[in-house]
Amino acid sequence: MKSGKFWAWVTFILGAAYFFIPLIATMEFSMRMKRGEYSFEAYRVVLGDPRFQESFTFSVVAAVFTIILGVLLVVPTAYWIRLRLPQLRPVVEFVTLLPLVIPAIVIVFGYIRMYGSNSPLPFLSSDMGTNALLVIGYATLALPYMYRAVDTGLRTIDVRTLTEAAQILGAGWTTIISRVILPNVLIAVLSGAFLTFAIVIGEFTIASLLNRPAFGPYLQNIGANRAYEPAALAIIAFVITWGCMSVIQVLSRFAPKSANRPN
Amino acid sequence: MTDISLSGPAAAGKTLPPAQASAMRLPTQWLGVAPFIIFALMFLILPTLYLILGAFQNVDGAFTLENIVELAQPTIRAAYWISIKVSVASSLLGAFIGLAIAIAIVRGGLPNWTRSATLTFSGVASQFAGVPLAFAFLATLGRLGLVTVLLRSVGVDLYQYGFNVLSFWGLTLTYLYFQIPLMVVIITPAIDGIRKEWGEAAATLGATQWQYWRMVVIPVIWPSFLGTVILLFANSFGAIATAYALTGSSLNIVPIVLYAQIRGDVLHNANLGYAIAFGMIFITGLANIFYIWFRTRSERWLK
Amino acid sequence: MADPFLSIQHVKKAFGPTTVVEDFNLDIERGEFVSFLGPSGCGKTTVLRMVAGFEEPTAGSIIVGGKDVTRLKPNQRNVGMVFQAYALFPNLTVAQNVAFGLKVAGVAKAESDRRVAEMLELIKLPQMGDRYPYQLSGGQQQRVALARALAPKPKLLLLDEPLSALDAKVRVSLRDEIRAIQKELGITTIFVTHDQEEALSISDRIAVMYGGKAEQVGAPFEIYNRPATKFVANFVGTLNVLEGVVSDAGSGRVRINAEEIGLKGKLNGSKTGDTLSLALRPEAIALGPRPGHDATLSGEIADVHFLGSVIRVRVGIGGSKISLDTFNNSSTPPPNVGDKAEISFSSGDVLVLH
Repeated sequence: MKSGKFWAWVTFILGAAYFFIPLIATMEFSMRMKRGEYSFEAYRVVLGDPRFQESFTFSVVAAVFTIILGVLLVVPTAYWIRLRLPQLRPVVEFVTLLPLVIPAIVIVFGYIRMYGSNSPLPFLSSDMGTNALLVIGYATLALPYMYRAVDTGLRTIDVRTLTEAAQILGAGWTTIISRVILPNVLIAVLSGAFLTFAIVIGEFTIASLLNRPAFGPYLQNIGANRAYEPAALAIIAFVITWGCMSVIQVLSRFAPKSANRPN
Repeated sequence: MTDISLSGPAAAGKTLPPAQASAMRLPTQWLGVAPFIIFALMFLILPTLYLILGAFQNVDGAFTLENIVELAQPTIRAAYWISIKVSVASSLLGAFIGLAIAIAIVRGGLPNWTRSATLTFSGVASQFAGVPLAFAFLATLGRLGLVTVLLRSVGVDLYQYGFNVLSFWGLTLTYLYFQIPLMVVIITPAIDGIRKEWGEAAATLGATQWQYWRMVVIPVIWPSFLGTVILLFANSFGAIATAYALTGSSLNIVPIVLYAQIRGDVLHNANLGYAIAFGMIFITGLANIFYIWFRTRSERWLK
Repeated sequence: MADPFLSIQHVKKAFGPTTVVEDFNLDIERGEFVSFLGPSGCGKTTVLRMVAGFEEPTAGSIIVGGKDVTRLKPNQRNVGMVFQAYALFPNLTVAQNVAFGLKVAGVAKAESDRRVAEMLELIKLPQMGDRYPYQLSGGQQQRVALARALAPKPKLLLLDEPLSALDAKVRVSLRDEIRAIQKELGITTIFVTHDQEEALSISDRIAVMYGGKAEQVGAPFEIYNRPATKFVANFVGTLNVLEGVVSDAGSGRVRINAEEIGLKGKLNGSKTGDTLSLALRPEAIALGPRPGHDATLSGEIADVHFLGSVIRVRVGIGGSKISLDTFNNSSTPPPNVGDKAEISFSSGDVLVLH
């Protein structure tokens, strides 16, 4: 028993060291920009860079659209599967997991070949079309996470009874989904949304291959040309990811544990 | 996030209750999922099929196996080989280290805060990948990185020993930064599922600790473990951003070769690019088929 | 008891500053079925776990078959244990679960198969060998757990609230089954429960525990009818408690409200003017006079609960309410709330609590 506890501590401390040393090293490196003293100069340079502001804004907007698309796509589907088509569930779950198996680079490669300017659906022939394709690609990447989050949320509420109760009161489908189901799975949807945000904000592959001025390609570009700014950007990116995950954790405290389920 | 692996097809074989089966005949029911199905076909399944078909066609669209044969040329073969090596190493190491950490925080008798801190941090680190991760490791283990510099000041020069963050081991070590936490996040619920009473029951029946682990604990967590290893493998096999930002194109893993091909047709054969993409799907797909086969075969005790 | 099979001697257990079990002593004979009965936190499970070897006593010793096992590991003690939550191994079939103890002991396959078949026969699930635990009901799982515990022929069988997770009907039938199997095998058994009915119906002897100590050890009949302490009297069965004042110690007269009853020979040296707690079981009290009942008290019907074969009536006497049971007799209507009533009982049934 005693030796078990000893090894548990050793494992924990080694793990903590592996995960904290790079963060400390990056922090230290990012503050070395001014010779002979520690300063936040690199952060000042980065945050003041108009390309940083532009690309970051672009990615935030892309992320917001991705979240909207993801919610519109996933919530009605997951709801309908639970309510009316449980036999389709394995198929839909399988499809939502495919993006974990098919690499993003393959998916975007397919897009480039299928939706080029001389195809029947020439997404890539205009800037807006390419932006749309970027958002679509991001929604595909986030699909496994969004679907899982929403489906877990739906599991804790009694979808059928809520729907029937709303129908008896005369609600139509739009009302049921927007006024009854969505508020009840809001926490789950928000968790999925923040996870999507964390995945999408610094995404490189799709944005770069679609030539979008997004945050990911900007990061890569800075990394190839600067010394201290990348470290500062790494810390900023880590803080953003941390923020998203903290929000999810806080949200999970408000999630309905398991409301009036008959079984 | 408990079980992200592909369990779908295993459940697909269940027979349907009559009430649900009759619902299938009503086409209006299907309208509810139509947007999703159309989206999945247009932006996930068809683009993938397009590449797969392209891999078996020549420039004129006739069937050929030439592109697949071309994959055997030395640069591409070397790229696949290093990709597989990095993915296998980072998924296996990540899996075992992640498992050890999960066991330590669940079963190790550590104070409660270690568990919540580890899980919170793992949630963050498992999503902290891509370009920023490369920056962090360059700042740590690059030629001017803090750890490199500190070790050099005490007389240990990593780079003299042949270490390079832009190498196989450098990349593996970097990938572990998201592989280990991903394992921790997924496997911890499985470890939680191991009940204290099982160990006590085994002990009263005369089993040693090792017998208990061999006969109960390992078989019980094995499916989740293997599923996560497959996921970690696919996770690193398809990853490009970290490697690209870390090594430029000095370490030719498959996604980087494909990336270069997409940007500039460096292989001078568009269909060979399809073949490379097909090869990637083939390998991750194969890993998943193996997992599904294993799971349906050996896990009859799973509900 | 000249040569007990299991002897728990001066056992103490403290977790840090809190003492959970203090100075627990009990001798159990070979083949005996003993229940530890008590509320949660009374230390009953801790004692059981010390016998199993999961907890090491802070002081004292545990002797099984003449051998001191106090410091032995659980897997060296040869005890069988059944847990509240079944604790079957989910990855093994019923037969593999039952064979587990035999397998780790290195028993040959043929012998093990034979033993497993015998065990499944014993628990009346001979066809279930190939099922997995999730395919069984709770009651079936618990029977398999029992078979698994018994398969390696343990010296002791320890049952830790094995019926608590089951629903009422299964609980009763499995309880009887456990007792029948225990008698058939003659295995020394400790049964931990917080349910007094369970303990009373199944045991040879009961140790009623409270605050880490055995309050009373005895046969069910004795525990129920002659509780040694106020706690035992209260915990085992329903009990009516009346306050009385000794009005004449010499003749054994005790005043309850305005009435007097005679309790000669029961006062144990109490003096005139002392206040006593007097306890009476509901089934010892009758509504109205009854032959052999030498004491009566009068009051008013406070409420009436119809329980099927029995009607439980509560009669207000002074400040307290006395419960009593009358058999349901279709020709006599139950009493009405508010009616005047007289209760009678035999002074021999009164317990004077200390």
